[in-house]
Amino acid sequence: MVAKQLDGYIKPELMACCGAREIQENDIVLVGTGFPTMAANIAKHTHAPNARLMQESGVYDARPKRPALSVGDPCLNPGAAMIGGLMDIMGMGLQAGNVDVGFLSGSQVDKFGNINTTCIGDYENPKSRLPGSGGANPIGSLVKRVLIIALHDTRRLAEKVDFITTPGYIDGPGAREKHGLPPGTGPHVIITNKAVMRFDKSTGEAYLDTYHPDTTVEEVVKNTPWDLKVSPDVRETEPPTEFELRVLREVLDPKRMISAYISRGYV
Amino acid sequence: MSKVTTINKAISEHVKDGDFLFIGGYICRTPYAAIHEIIRQGKKDLTVTRSNAADDFDMLIGAGAVKRFIATFLSLGFFGLGRCYRRSLEKGIPHKIEVEEYTNLSLPTMLMAGAMGMPFAPVRDMAGSDLMKVKSFMGDNKYKVIKSPFDGATTVLVPALNPDVAIIHVQQSDETGNAQIWGIGGDCQYGANAAKKVIVCCERIVSRDVIGKDPSRTIVPDYKVAAVVEEPFGAHPGYTPGFYDTDFKFGNLYKTASSTEDGFKRFLDEWVYGVKNRNEYIQHYIKSYGYSSFKKLEAEFDYGYPVSYSY
Repeated sequence: MVAKQLDGYIKPELMACCGAREIQENDIVLVGTGFPTMAANIAKHTHAPNARLMQESGVYDARPKRPALSVGDPCLNPGAAMIGGLMDIMGMGLQAGNVDVGFLSGSQVDKFGNINTTCIGDYENPKSRLPGSGGANPIGSLVKRVLIIALHDTRRLAEKVDFITTPGYIDGPGAREKHGLPPGTGPHVIITNKAVMRFDKSTGEAYLDTYHPDTTVEEVVKNTPWDLKVSPDVRETEPPTEFELRVLREVLDPKRMISAYISRGYV
Repeated sequence: MSKVTTINKAISEHVKDGDFLFIGGYICRTPYAAIHEIIRQGKKDLTVTRSNAADDFDMLIGAGAVKRFIATFLSLGFFGLGRCYRRSLEKGIPHKIEVEEYTNLSLPTMLMAGAMGMPFAPVRDMAGSDLMKVKSFMGDNKYKVIKSPFDGATTVLVPALNPDVAIIHVQQSDETGNAQIWGIGGDCQYGANAAKKVIVCCERIVSRDVIGKDPSRTIVPDYKVAAVVEEPFGAHPGYTPGFYDTDFKFGNLYKTASSTEDGFKRFLDEWVYGVKNRNEYIQHYIKSYGYSSFKKLEAEFDYGYPVSYSY
């Protein structure tokens, strides 16, 4: 696949910048690998220098010298502020209510921000068996703002996911509370390769907030398999600033590992 | 009394067909030497658990050793979905394993409860998801939902787990099994202490005096430990902090090999059945990839600040 050059940047860079802009100063951010780490670190280099990252494997405030390829990557060990285990991060960090932001992605994401990482098709006889929850379900259940990364097409986005591995707004407003999930938690935004969608609290549904510079409202709506509402203030996504790109290319990812997302369809 | 033995004896004496095993090593310090020995000895009908399973569980499933899996996740990480896991669940090859699904909060909590002798523990996740709708071999004991007796809030309870045997890989242990780690812990400490007995594989056996120089690093006390095996490079192709890096080349080899049934069988023939122990495995690795590839994985020498416990 040929990378679409959008005035000198590639789509995964734009998406990482969109993620960065959702992070606020002093946020505690539970990250996976790839986009989330890059997004959170762009934020640290720009508007949120005191945001701090943690990985579910047991790491708090790592200072890796190369991009981590997994949440347990060797490079996360030397220099971290704290290393423990899963219960230190998922228990004392996340479950105890200390985490502001979590990044999640999934093979399927629906209009309520429910995420499927378990199976495509029937659970008992799956067409395709996926990895499972891992840390996704507790992150989606317990962080204040869930940032969802997804591919924007009618297969990856869905009216209803085949399996709710991680609850978003489940089937509408009030459903999280009914099931006993803590108040003030849930999906905040879906960042795709075509758009940024946010959630209408009155319906629990994702709506179109901004469309990326190489697309249009019509194209986004056409590639969304639910009746996508469009914000009255809909506008083009702000492209990366020169400084954001410098941070990404010169400091965080000099080997340009982010371009691997292109082969996964993030164009 | 010294419990030092070989991996061959440790597995044959302490792991029985049908046992429930906790296998430590969430990305970091995975006991591959023991995994290969379990496969070599043809153990079967095992129930296995750990948060975030990877190539090691995929291999056990592909080799037919696993009957049941208390799971949160299984993938090859950077290299995508677990090919043997998919073949088992999608096509029943070599057989369809039974999977009970939890999360990376609820499963370590169940191990923590087991380690502490608690019968069950409350968790704040899983609620409202389809993980509550699917139950396998644990049936109605997968979880319970109650009104909290303290504040009436809807609360999910998960049962304690007590595996028959835990197998972990650590940096160092003494001869009786006081086992020390540093670096990412995953669910290793609770998983090991939840088990009835522990097999400790380590990079190096040290004296009791060395353990005593930094006792805060001990995660398993020796009274839990049944066997101690010195197995340098025992977590390859995974990593051990301070000893060696992840071997991505080998990860890619496993991904490619396990993509087909035939390729997976050839992988086992070459790297598991084709060698008697880890020493032969290392020799085979050096013959296949060269000594420089082996040395390249070695960690740089970078000791931390020494600590003093004196008073």
